[in-house]
Amino acid sequence: MSAPTFFEWLSTSPWANAMNGPEWAFPLVQSLHFIGFAFSIGTIAIVDFRLLGWTMRRQSTAELAAELDPWTWAGLALMLITGPLMFSTGAVEYHNNPSFQFKMVCLALALLFHFTIHRKVARSEAPPLAAKFVGGLSLVLWTAVVAGGRMIAFV
Amino acid sequence: MSIPSLLQWIESTDLSTAIREGALPYPILGGIHLLSIALFGGMVLMTDLRLLGWAMRRSTVQDIVRQFRPWKWAGFAVVTSTGLLLAWAEPQKLYRSPAFWVKMALLALVGVHALGFRARVYGSTARPDVAETIEGKLAACLSLLLWAGLIVSGRLIAYDA
Repeated sequence: MSAPTFFEWLSTSPWANAMNGPEWAFPLVQSLHFIGFAFSIGTIAIVDFRLLGWTMRRQSTAELAAELDPWTWAGLALMLITGPLMFSTGAVEYHNNPSFQFKMVCLALALLFHFTIHRKVARSEAPPLAAKFVGGLSLVLWTAVVAGGRMIAFV
Repeated sequence: MSIPSLLQWIESTDLSTAIREGALPYPILGGIHLLSIALFGGMVLMTDLRLLGWAMRRSTVQDIVRQFRPWKWAGFAVVTSTGLLLAWAEPQKLYRSPAFWVKMALLALVGVHALGFRARVYGSTARPDVAETIEGKLAACLSLLLWAGLIVSGRLIAYDA
């Protein structure tokens, strides 16, 4: 199946039809998407703030990151269910949308960074300057993901 | 001045026109409004989930509240100032939007919640085992419901009118 037909098929799939049905379906799923990133990006941001030395300094970053990890996962799961659901309602238009493409590139980079360098630095006693750099870069990457997402509706 | 003419005056200000008609201000303000959920919403969630005994159990409620407080205030300042500017751009539309009024009512309840529970749950005088009390759990559940309601009603504003 070539890419365009895949996106056409996706936009006529049963779940896309369900999303296109009642008027409240899309905003409700979108709200769940926001709650999903409050959990995922929100808990990652707490670790980033800790890496920067801005909060929870009585606790080690490693301990804090380990404690928050299940909530980050819960949020990611919610995001990765609700995101594709919204995408399916206009798959052809979305995959051609520059903001959407920008968001997906940033998301891939942010996830890659999160599960490699960020994880490693958060779970070890990294030198303060490295910790600050990693915390700051993580905040920048996730900010770009949210900003790109917001711009989808305007481009 | 009557309310309709007040709303009309707001929409006629340069600031309102600039936000409404410029290509960039509206999405940028909306983006910052949304970003504050991503950057500070986690602190609200974790404080409430700590009160329920589900998250961050290695730290005390008091420590978490104290550590997150300045950041939650910063986030609240960002979300309300961007929200106010977004509202300034189209007050007539918002005045007619039921979802907007639901959101404002929930926002008022957030204030009532803060005043009502501050001393006994979130304040420095709260008992050390507040996470074990009904009051602490009630405060956490209500806070989670209020914030979820703010997100849903906020999103629904775009679908009114």
